[in-house]
Amino acid sequence: MSTGGSLNTEPGEGGTAPARFRISRDLGTVAATITAVAGLLYVFLVVTVTLHVVIVLGAMAVALWLLQRDPRVEASIAGSFERRRSFALVLGVAVALAYPFAIGQNTYHIHLLVICILYSVLTIALNFQLGSANIPNFATGATYGIGAYSSALLALNHGWNFWATLPVAALAATVFGFAIGLPSMRTRDAYLALVTIACGVIIHQLLNNFEWTGGAQGLIGIPAPSVFGHSFTQPLRVFGLTLPAQANFYYLALLLLMLAIVVAGRLHHSRIGLAWNALRADEIAARSVGINVVWYKMLAFAVDAFLAAFAGVVYAFYVGYIAPDNFTFLVSVMLMTMVIVGGMDNVIGVIIGTFLLTLLPEKLRVFSDYRLLFYGLVVIAFLSIRPQGLFPQRLRRYRGVE
Amino acid sequence: MIELEAVSTRYGAVPMLREVTLRVGAGELVCLLGPNGAGKTTLFKTVAGLIRPTSGTVRVAGSPDARTERIAALGVGLVPENRRLFPGLTVAQNLCLGYEAVRRERVGFDQGLEDIGRLFPRVLERLDQMAGTLSGGEQAMVALARALIGRPTVLVMDEPSLGLAPKLIREYFRIVEELHARGSTVLLIEQNAGMALRIAQRGYVLSRGSVVADDAAEALRKSSVVRNLYFS
Repeated sequence: MSTGGSLNTEPGEGGTAPARFRISRDLGTVAATITAVAGLLYVFLVVTVTLHVVIVLGAMAVALWLLQRDPRVEASIAGSFERRRSFALVLGVAVALAYPFAIGQNTYHIHLLVICILYSVLTIALNFQLGSANIPNFATGATYGIGAYSSALLALNHGWNFWATLPVAALAATVFGFAIGLPSMRTRDAYLALVTIACGVIIHQLLNNFEWTGGAQGLIGIPAPSVFGHSFTQPLRVFGLTLPAQANFYYLALLLLMLAIVVAGRLHHSRIGLAWNALRADEIAARSVGINVVWYKMLAFAVDAFLAAFAGVVYAFYVGYIAPDNFTFLVSVMLMTMVIVGGMDNVIGVIIGTFLLTLLPEKLRVFSDYRLLFYGLVVIAFLSIRPQGLFPQRLRRYRGVE
Repeated sequence: MIELEAVSTRYGAVPMLREVTLRVGAGELVCLLGPNGAGKTTLFKTVAGLIRPTSGTVRVAGSPDARTERIAALGVGLVPENRRLFPGLTVAQNLCLGYEAVRRERVGFDQGLEDIGRLFPRVLERLDQMAGTLSGGEQAMVALARALIGRPTVLVMDEPSLGLAPKLIREYFRIVEELHARGSTVLLIEQNAGMALRIAQRGYVLSRGSVVADDAAEALRKSSVVRNLYFS
């Protein structure tokens, strides 16, 4: 980037007037975008009247339509974020940390956010496969379940605490990831999808029928975690303010999400991310340049399983009760929809898609039995406005030579 | 460097190669000619390890039955049919993938890029462009550059001249000749017999899966076998 050097001049170093203007404009754009997204999320959380829900969705559709019509707007916003990365990062984290305070005592809203965040971790995990490497894995729900079950079983039967079960559950799920990866290696596309669907269904059936997993009733009474003597069942007191107990899990899930985002970012820009994109584009060409396709596909399965298990563990300890029906094939389909609607291979897009599609069913409760119908209509509407997903992968930045 | 001993390959029940024996010694530039459907691409895939022969042995760079993903590390650069670039990635990323699979260290990449720049100045001008948006000629150059950036000792090319304008074909073959002059071993699989025989030392002619002629390029140019295959 030849123009990048002059734009990155720090304000104090006597940048020229246009450069300084550019900096403040970038900061303004970043701040405005983050505030707008946070505000939109808040509105979407609190609206209950059906008409208002429709208005909010309509406003989103119009905004997306405008973005689609003039790509320069999106490019300019993305450019501002690119140039002011650390500012965007600090502001984004600050807003996320302050969010429960804005919501206050409404435990239902905080609960919804925790679920949104956990699902975001799952979709980021799936995105390594579906988005980066084009592996349609329909077994993410199962790896999520294996994480949740292994941690819950360790806690209930052996008295392990939350923190100790985390690595073990992640390991168990990763082994399972390899186990479904292996038979999948000989298949591709629709056939690969079928193999993963079968694996997911098998796990669901096993959880349902084994005695030691509690059968269809599942596992009850998973103890809440605690940290430095503070139990997660107690309300959280910060700066003289009291937040409901759910806020403990909000921050735990948020920590996990940030970890997932960092891992995703590092992988995306690494040789591994590039190799995944290469085998997504053309497997034979990838092999011709010496990429070990089997190894990289297995790696995608393992990374997916590892992160999904973390989400499963947090979910199990948060809700305190898990059953096979939390981890069905339908969960995997939902996760896949979220990745596709959000935008393949773009972490921010995937998170936005996940929040939207996790909250949507809650907002459509008034339609009761027809809820899924409206859900489907909204998905179709958004995809026809933005066929590539809400925020698809942008051109990779190249970090090999400058 | 490349040795095929009585190699037969079938797709299901359909035989594609019949008892093909072919040798490319170190430092040689050998071309393999043949009309459409002769089995040229099957032979490329067999050499590249993309398909396993039904019978016979394949040795590439001293290694028997080398799998495709290991072949690059053995110092073999592959230029597959239709270039097969990664269209959604930039030229630089395409080159980077060609480099990193072979040589793990990053330092040599810039050096490799410089070498590429000397052979194809235009590739360097296009580094940040998406490979899918390049012209056909540029894509052909990038595909060759991607195979070369890991500094292979053996180069195997499948129909590199396909779809190129005559002027570009001449330029392309001049580069191949130069690589050979610098010591590379080249197996050039081509339909364009005239151009290929002009730069090659030896040639094989493949027809319906069998080698029907195997001689010095000079002799093949005058041979009636080649003429009959192409013009009858």
